[in-house]
Amino acid sequence: MDTQWPRFIVFLQERANAPHQYVGSVHAPDADMALMNARDVFVRRPACLSLWVVPASAVLMKTAEELARETITYNREDDGAKEPYFVFYKLLEKGTLIHSGEVDAGSPAVALAAAYATDDGQTAKAIWVFPAKAARCSTSDDIQPMFAPARAKTHFRDQAEFHITTTMQQIKRGQDDDE
Amino acid sequence: MTNELHNALADYLLALADDELILGHRDSEWCGHAPILEEDIAFANIALDEIGHAGVWYRLVADLRDERPETYPDQLIYFREMADYRSAPLVELPKGDWALTMLRQYLFDALESVRLERLAASAYPPLAEADAKIRTEELYHLRHTTAWVRRLGLGTEESRRRMQAALETLWPYALQMIEQPSAELVEAGYVPAEDDLRHAWEDMVIPHLQDSGLDVPHQTILPPFDRQRHTEHLSALLDEMQSVARLIPDARW
Repeated sequence: MDTQWPRFIVFLQERANAPHQYVGSVHAPDADMALMNARDVFVRRPACLSLWVVPASAVLMKTAEELARETITYNREDDGAKEPYFVFYKLLEKGTLIHSGEVDAGSPAVALAAAYATDDGQTAKAIWVFPAKAARCSTSDDIQPMFAPARAKTHFRDQAEFHITTTMQQIKRGQDDDE
Repeated sequence: MTNELHNALADYLLALADDELILGHRDSEWCGHAPILEEDIAFANIALDEIGHAGVWYRLVADLRDERPETYPDQLIYFREMADYRSAPLVELPKGDWALTMLRQYLFDALESVRLERLAASAYPPLAEADAKIRTEELYHLRHTTAWVRRLGLGTEESRRRMQAALETLWPYALQMIEQPSAELVEAGYVPAEDDLRHAWEDMVIPHLQDSGLDVPHQTILPPFDRQRHTEHLSALLDEMQSVARLIPDARW
């Protein structure tokens, strides 16, 4: 039995005018807790301005190979009421998924087809789309309570500030001598 | 500041610091054992923050006692005997189950947040400055534990039962954790009065506990309490916490 909570995909924006980027995923019982867990797992040290979490089940993900093979076509029949979808492209082999904008579509497949039809879509290594309403986004009110604590923390402290290894060796030597 | 005020303020801050340290240590016992990975990371982070807050208060104690702020906190933490600790029983209790841990942390965070609100206006400037540093982290703790209390209280039958049991265990201890500063300290505007804190704390936690489906015990008479006396649990905790430092007292870590 799968006892895990649902998985949420996490997107992080480091600073104003930078796009949200895929950073990983968290398990959580609901979107609010997912946002908190995302903060704890991904915003301990680095700067963060905004977080989005979205249930993994709501994200349609396709690799370049799948896109080429499946040749998704625009299908009028499943094009119901239009709603905005977030579009993410992975443009570099070693890069992550980066938010590039929104498209209005009536279904995930149609949103994906629209995203694929653009220049970036053709060269992308992978494309993800999900309905904007599926995402829980942090707001400007969250910046202070959620992200301010990390800002005061330095990224790394110099190794020389820690004497623990030497001290542990010293203790170990003492114990060896006792034996 | 008179000498008496100096000493009274140092004693007050020592109690704050000890509560943060002991609770931080208790919280750290979950490291690697929390119910899910994400919460393991979150709670270890909270534990570290509390120990960090203790450090802030210990350094203020050092200033007030004309001790070196670089070394005095370690002396207090690792080389002080149990009888000289001033922690409240609430933070000394074993970690229990996840419900007890989360509820204790919530009750503590709520008190800390109302206290920090007031200490920000303290007439002792170093205290007001230290306050600002701690507040951003504490705001986050409270948000985290508030959400957990609600979900456990309104979750499954089992989670509610465990939360209710934890509340009944912790409530009398929680009422005791509010520091009782001397009248001079309060009059000087250094620290908030106990009554003021108690009312603000109750106004925050009681509605939230009730909204979370829990029955708050009726207890108006406080159990007798003295911060110079400790539960048996503190002894084992200190043994463990102090053992490595005492192995080589002059080691540089």
